[in-house]
Amino acid sequence: MFKNYLKTAFRSLKRNKGFTAINILGLALGLTACLLIVLYVVNELSFDRYNTKADRIYRVNEDLKLGNNSVQYAVCMPPLAQTLKTDFPEVENAVRLKNAYSIHVKKGSENILEYRVAFADPSLFDVFTLPMINGNASTALKEPNSIVITETTALKYFNSTNVVGKSLVINDQGGFKVTGVIKDVPKTSHFNFDFFISMSSFPDSKSDKWLRSDYNTYVLFRKGADPKKLEAQFPAFLRKYSAGEMQSDMKMSIDDFEKGGSYFRMNLIPLTDIHLHSNISGELGANSSAQYIYIFSAIALFILLIACVNFMNLSTARSANRAREVGVRKVLGSSRGNLVIQFLAESNMITLVSTIIALFATYALLPAFNQLAGKEISIGLGTFAWLLPASLLIILIVGFMAGSYPALFLSGFQPVNVLKGKLSAGFKGGNLRNFLVVFQFSISIFLIIGTLVIYNQLNYIQSKNLGYNRNQVLVIKNAYELNTHSQTFKQEVKQLPGVSDATLSGYLPTGQARNTSIFYKEAGTTDQKNAIFPQTWSIDEDYIKTLGMKMIAGREFSTSMATDSSALIINETAARFLGMSNPVGKLLYQSVDGNHEHVKAYQIVGVVKDFHFNSLHENIAPVIMRFNYDNGNVSVRVNSSNLPALVNQIKSKWSSLTSAHFEYSFMDQDFEATYRSEQRIGQIFIVFTSLAILIACLGLFGLAAYAAEQRTKEIGIRKVLGASVSVIVGLLTKDFLKLILVAIVISTPLAWYFMHKWLQDFAYRVNIHWYTVAIAAVTAMLIAFITISFQSIKAALTNPVKSLKNE
Amino acid sequence: MIKITDLEKFYRTEEVETIALNKLSMEVRKGEFVAIMGPSGCGKSTLLNILGMLDDPDAGSYIFNDTEVAHFNERKRADLRKHNIGFVFQSFNLIDELTVFENVELPLIYTGVAASERVKRVEAVLDKMQIMHRRNHYPQQLSGGQQQRVAIARAVVNNPKLILADEPTGNLDSSNGNEVMELLTDLNEQGTTIIMVTHSEHDARYSHRIIRLLDGHTVMENIMI
Ligand SMILES: Nc1ncnc2c1ncn2[C@@H]1O[C@H](COP(=O)(O)OP(=O)(O)O)[C@@H](O)[C@H]1O
Ligand SMILES: [Mg+2]
Repeated sequence: MFKNYLKTAFRSLKRNKGFTAINILGLALGLTACLLIVLYVVNELSFDRYNTKADRIYRVNEDLKLGNNSVQYAVCMPPLAQTLKTDFPEVENAVRLKNAYSIHVKKGSENILEYRVAFADPSLFDVFTLPMINGNASTALKEPNSIVITETTALKYFNSTNVVGKSLVINDQGGFKVTGVIKDVPKTSHFNFDFFISMSSFPDSKSDKWLRSDYNTYVLFRKGADPKKLEAQFPAFLRKYSAGEMQSDMKMSIDDFEKGGSYFRMNLIPLTDIHLHSNISGELGANSSAQYIYIFSAIALFILLIACVNFMNLSTARSANRAREVGVRKVLGSSRGNLVIQFLAESNMITLVSTIIALFATYALLPAFNQLAGKEISIGLGTFAWLLPASLLIILIVGFMAGSYPALFLSGFQPVNVLKGKLSAGFKGGNLRNFLVVFQFSISIFLIIGTLVIYNQLNYIQSKNLGYNRNQVLVIKNAYELNTHSQTFKQEVKQLPGVSDATLSGYLPTGQARNTSIFYKEAGTTDQKNAIFPQTWSIDEDYIKTLGMKMIAGREFSTSMATDSSALIINETAARFLGMSNPVGKLLYQSVDGNHEHVKAYQIVGVVKDFHFNSLHENIAPVIMRFNYDNGNVSVRVNSSNLPALVNQIKSKWSSLTSAHFEYSFMDQDFEATYRSEQRIGQIFIVFTSLAILIACLGLFGLAAYAAEQRTKEIGIRKVLGASVSVIVGLLTKDFLKLILVAIVISTPLAWYFMHKWLQDFAYRVNIHWYTVAIAAVTAMLIAFITISFQSIKAALTNPVKSLKNE
Repeated sequence: MIKITDLEKFYRTEEVETIALNKLSMEVRKGEFVAIMGPSGCGKSTLLNILGMLDDPDAGSYIFNDTEVAHFNERKRADLRKHNIGFVFQSFNLIDELTVFENVELPLIYTGVAASERVKRVEAVLDKMQIMHRRNHYPQQLSGGQQQRVAIARAVVNNPKLILADEPTGNLDSSNGNEVMELLTDLNEQGTTIIMVTHSEHDARYSHRIIRLLDGHTVMENIMI
């Protein structure tokens, strides 16, 4: 019996090639999109789970509120890890990581700049699962100047992984000994380093200060320990260790500190939450956001739904042609159950074929998708372990979802009715079909609006006036290599034709260097009401004009003013935080070396117009600029038609002063990099939305074809009676366009609501304009119209003699 | 074999109520060949559908083989139908996706006959209908007369006690029509009860008895022999 079902199903599918092709293609397309998104989501959710102890590892975060500012840090105090380990028995182990940002590693005569470098405590390998290929994991990071490298790095520098005992020259200093080679850190790790240098090589790591935060600190709990219980003990713990320092350095007790509304807290975040739920200061890498996981999962589901709806629609539309078959089978003794199984066999067969196609397509498209998403997802044996059962489940679920309605609908035909020749009863079930078309197009229009809003917002970010000019600025990344020659270098570069200005400072709007410190409005007080906790940047006299910032009051720093060593330029936000409407000339105070006995007075000499230096998700923070020497970067404003030549000239100046590698980039590229993940998300969104719309149109195309086929005779008669082509096209198109109109009415408010919510996440954002919605509506209408009219025109142009004979 | 008494069937469409069968009573004995005639719309097909248990009456009694079936539900009717009744339609109603062989095999599948037995029985009946050489063709590849022979083969493959034919020659030319009538006569002579709706006096002459309907009521019965 079952063989008969399959046979009939197969023949029926073969006979209706167009229908089958549309169904299989639509479903395969939908499933492919779905699978790609699922792979993406699974990849995002798998972050840090490679650690066998992942469920017991937590990172300690710090919350600091001082006066008006509150900041969250992913980094903690230097002695925290060790102290937690000794004070709390439930803490099995703890490890600190400190981002070393960049080092130069010598290979032959070349100095290679490496960015993925961290200092790490010896316990690193007890906490994280980073298998060692060569070397002793328990001792590798003990001694100063020990270094553990990844497999790839070992191959890069030594052409071998058997290199324990060899040495590396780092920043032109010899004596770093390779004590271990580990497997590459998995791509699904929230930190990704190639070099782990022993923490003991970094003297600062022995600091016992409790009022500073610069070490990423991870805690491994004993089995069964409750992290909540430890968290509850944090306030007392912090009080115990930091009270003394607060008294001696800030001249106040913790109670006084907290009375002012300030606080200083610690909390724990599970290791596996970091990638999707943490985006705070001092992260070891760029994390993602759970929000995007939700959005993408929703899109995947939408696409699958649209594909299923196509299936249902086309199947029920086809019921006209199947009705007689159902009638005959019933007359011959088929029960309704038999028929349901038959139709389900058919739909499952389509789903099976579609899924197989989708699996291959996913495999083929994965490299392109990886490129788009900036991922390195691969399908391995481990993937198949869940992918195959999941595919089977998808086949069954989609097969049943898509097949059940036609199955129940068709099997319910009364043989007397359908055999009477009332075959036109086939376009029955039209209400449900209308509903489904509306549903599909509501989703499509929703996605179009979503895409437009995201696109607008990304565009806005690109083109927003940021308060500085990022174009035509060349940034030399490693200016610190110049040591004492950096001033000379800057002055020489300024002389070059094609260079309009240059500034020496590591604090750039697009850079990573950030520093915060406390200023008070009054001397000799530690009242937080008087405090401001701004970004504190060291800049030179050329900074403002090189970066194209605008002064709105006062003046820039000047070398000719001897007093400028105690002058400040603040941004508008800082002025607002300080509550000063006319700040120029006012004084701010800061303790020297963290000691409140020694206070230095600064005078505000200028106010710079606000400029963006964080992501546009965040509001602009207060910035106070000091006239101070910092040689982190040299930024050069260029103005030349022959950029490569100019870069070469700058490079030769560089080479005359240092042997170090010349590292540079352009500021606008650095800016783009900040929003790369957002742009990626936007692109992925656009791609999948287009797919969703394409699939919906495929369904509409098929439906229009059937509607036209159903009405072949009617169209023939109308033409014989004198109807024009346009009248007939209108007749066939009108019904569908009405449905699209309903979909527009339903989806636009929903889309507006959700996109409005999405935008709330940006401190700086576009509005959703009426024309955004209008564009989406018109686009949907147009696409639908083109799809339908293709069929309608074909039907309308058919010779009526042919269609009438067809009966 | 069949005894109906005061059978009624109404069709309600919005405001209009059509009485398709109006207190119709009749009897068909085992082995009879009955023709039903009457003007278009007088209720012939309605009657045949009720006799074939494809439809149920609104009132009256229908006794089939000594069982009252008027109140049977769909499942019971389907069960009774597939074992006892074969149908032949004016428009053949073959399934386009299935070959001649598979079309004929279908009733056997639904009654749960084993595969090897099915092959035997289908081949036997195709032989009898002289379309064995077309067993692997699809319905569209056959002439009307051949299609109707396949339909008759399908109707009889289960050895039904009753064959209901609704204008079986309506779509055929006269020579093909006569062939079909000969086949039905043969079947009748082998003991199968046949009730046939027809518009053709010529075809009706093959039967033992003609029941004439007018507006859902018997107006006359002619005994042919
Ligand atoms: N499904 C239906 N709905 C409404 N009226 C019907 C239906 N089927 C048949 N009729 C009406 O019942 C009457 C008998 O129909 P039918 O038995 O098909 O006649 P015929 O003798 O031509 O086979 C006709 O008047 C017809 O219009
Ligand atoms: Mg009739």
